[in-house]
Amino acid sequence: MAERLANRLKDRRTELGLTQAELAERVGVTRKTVNTVENGVFTPSATLAIKLSQALELSVEQLFWIER
Amino acid sequence: MNHRSTAERAEYLSKRRARMLPVLAIVFLSQQATFFSTVASPAPHSAYAVKISAWLVLSIVLLAALSTKGFWLQPKEVRDLIDDENTRANRNEAMRWGFLFSMGAAIAVYALTMFDMTVTARDAVHIVMTIGLATALIRWGVLERRAHRDG
Repeated sequence: MAERLANRLKDRRTELGLTQAELAERVGVTRKTVNTVENGVFTPSATLAIKLSQALELSVEQLFWIER
Repeated sequence: MNHRSTAERAEYLSKRRARMLPVLAIVFLSQQATFFSTVASPAPHSAYAVKISAWLVLSIVLLAALSTKGFWLQPKEVRDLIDDENTRANRNEAMRWGFLFSMGAAIAVYALTMFDMTVTARDAVHIVMTIGLATALIRWGVLERRAHRDG
């Protein structure tokens, strides 16, 4: 069965009142990369996943999980 | 240049690149169409040399754009940001497609010669490079446009 990396990036970002561009700036990528991670189009590296979780003040496991 | 303007500049250039990649592929392919439509009729040697050189220069520029961060005249911080993780992944995927299509073209050209069709070494290289580069450009453009799409 196919597995995919789900996330609650958008919900958490909205909770903190951040735009995609602002979050992108905090983690040092373009808005496009944040957009693709949020939409599940792109699976981030461990480095980026950790940076995103730090920027959004959650653990990596709270931000990302595997959906079957 | 402050950090905000670097991010905005990278975003602007990234969107422009996504729009330009398919256009570049079309320009590149049209140049080849002209080349192969006139190559059958004997052209003066100097005109042929100019055409070959123009193709070679354009191919090298496109290959460099595909395999490096590009935007060579931009500041380093903009170039670094524009070549972020998703861009590198998209570029690698585009290069993979380019390689596979190049191999397909090479196999097709090789097969053609088995049916008494003469293809010179120069034409074979021209065809293989053109298909590989155009495929990579189009694929990268598609992936970048998809990545920019909000959803």
